[in-house]
Amino acid sequence: MTTDIETGGSASVAGRGARVRVRIPTPLRAYTGGAAEVEAVGSTVREALADLAGAHEGIGASILTPEGERRRFVNIFLGDRSLRSAQDLDTTVSEGDVIAILPAVAGGAGAKERRLAELRSEIPEVTPAEARELQREGALIIDVREPDEVAAGTPVGARRIVRGFLELRIEEHVDSTHTPLVLMCAGGVRSLLAADDLRRLGFSDVRSMAGGFDRWKGEGLPVEVPERLSPSERERYARHLLIPEVGEAGQLALRKARVLLIGAGGLGSPAALYLAAAGVGTLGIVDDDVVDRSNLQRQILHTDAGVGTPKVDSARERLLALNPDIEVRTFPERLASDNAERLLAGYDVVVDGSDNFATRYLVSDVTTRFGIPNVHGSIYRFEGQVSVFWPGRPEAPGPCYRCLYPEPPPPELAPSCAEAGVLGVLPGVMGMLEAVETVKLLLGVGEPLVGKLLHYDALATEFRTFRVERDPACDWCGDHVESPPALIDYEAFCAVGAA
Amino acid sequence: MTSTDTAAGRMRLRLGEGQRSVLRRWAGAGYPNEACGVLIGTGDAAERTVAEVRRARNLEPRRSTDFYVLDPEAFLAADREAREDGLDIVGFWHSHPDSPAVPSETDRARAWPGYVYVIVSVRSGRAGEIRAWTLENESFQEGMVIA
Repeated sequence: MTTDIETGGSASVAGRGARVRVRIPTPLRAYTGGAAEVEAVGSTVREALADLAGAHEGIGASILTPEGERRRFVNIFLGDRSLRSAQDLDTTVSEGDVIAILPAVAGGAGAKERRLAELRSEIPEVTPAEARELQREGALIIDVREPDEVAAGTPVGARRIVRGFLELRIEEHVDSTHTPLVLMCAGGVRSLLAADDLRRLGFSDVRSMAGGFDRWKGEGLPVEVPERLSPSERERYARHLLIPEVGEAGQLALRKARVLLIGAGGLGSPAALYLAAAGVGTLGIVDDDVVDRSNLQRQILHTDAGVGTPKVDSARERLLALNPDIEVRTFPERLASDNAERLLAGYDVVVDGSDNFATRYLVSDVTTRFGIPNVHGSIYRFEGQVSVFWPGRPEAPGPCYRCLYPEPPPPELAPSCAEAGVLGVLPGVMGMLEAVETVKLLLGVGEPLVGKLLHYDALATEFRTFRVERDPACDWCGDHVESPPALIDYEAFCAVGAA
Repeated sequence: MTSTDTAAGRMRLRLGEGQRSVLRRWAGAGYPNEACGVLIGTGDAAERTVAEVRRARNLEPRRSTDFYVLDPEAFLAADREAREDGLDIVGFWHSHPDSPAVPSETDRARAWPGYVYVIVSVRSGRAGEIRAWTLENESFQEGMVIA
């Protein structure tokens, strides 16, 4: 039935109903052509509102949900009575009643927002594009998001330090408290709090990226998906991850590393076991020998059951049993001039655990040629020595093996273990020192044993370190050498047969 | 204060000095809680004149130091009386204890278009600046508060 109409409203309710006045608040007057009050017809409030909704398209959805409930942010009054529940809306109305629709009015500064507002006024915010420009000029973008967020991508070149470790780890990434830093999170809130933390630590040039990674990505700025450790790797290397000098980045570097072990004997056994345990991703083993029962007094890679089998196979089995995630490449060959370059190619570090001078010179010459570190160990009864020969070290070239021993000793002064005997545990100590130096090199931490020779005397319980100078006139790594000489006949050079 | 701002196109709110000092007093009295109330007056989207400022209870039950819920009964009464006088509800005011007179995200999320939102900043119990805002296209635009 159509009734009234000062406002153009119409009543569509069939049958008789009361005519009521509905007070429309300012925000809803767009639906009533600007009218502050309209009439509606119905026998209940609900019917009157339905009539209103029929007459003024759009207004119904602003007041009631599709299920007919009052919207949370709207108050409905019949006279002075507030209608809160669904049943309240079924209240009967009388002719001339007034229904008032009033928006709920609420808001507030919000403690969290208050803090953020303060921080925004104190900490400069930059857009992602500005952050990118600052990065080009030397600023560091620090991604403080959680690992599962970072897994989907991070700005190219950004450092990743989860917010909870920020204060503890920031110094590993910066050299100065004046280094310009741009903190980034997903949306720009956590980065603001993180920036405040760093500011309090004394960092002088700290900004927050407004909009965070979402905006960085949205603006098409370059993104990289970082390598991650798997959950099982996180479990396995948990004690490494706790060490700032290793952390996830270090563990990933170990995973990517390739180390070649020359010999799976007394030195190679402990070195290989610890390198495998540490998570060095690729271990190559060169050894042409088979397991002999006399090896088992010190060569702990092998077992009694393995006697008579190739050492590389025995080693491979044992290393994969310890850490199935790594790759073990085996070369049942004797290292010689005709295969050395092929075998050493592609490795980052060579661990020399050989037992003869011919092999040591050969390893030295090829690692010098390749510019990679040669982690050297040797033993004699109760004594051992370890050094890192690395003429190709970028920051400060070290000596090669030839700088220390330009010529091999006469065979009678250089007996092998088979000839002279060795305390079984001694190669354990020296091989593990080689493993330590190798891990340090791969992580790029600490001071490597370059230019120094560590000597261990087990009987005296004495470690001594000797300086080893690089020989600028060395024929292999000296200043005048543009490319090292061709490999020679090392057996002849040393005049010794296989040890 | 924005009374010297002459930018064209901004909403103007006429709020007398006396009304401002009343708002400051109420805002200070409510500290450390948020105080709130209704603005009655006349006008259109471009300029509104406040005829009367009213105080309402803040019904926020738990965190009234940084949130407010204006008592709907007070709104209803103000609306009825305003209509009787040929006036209208032009907007609302609330205080921001120890915060600037700038709308928060909460303010934005709960705001309605068509009203003026006046915010009074209170620092350590002393009311300071008063600024006025309107919601346009989901974001707040600052208006000019003039006498």
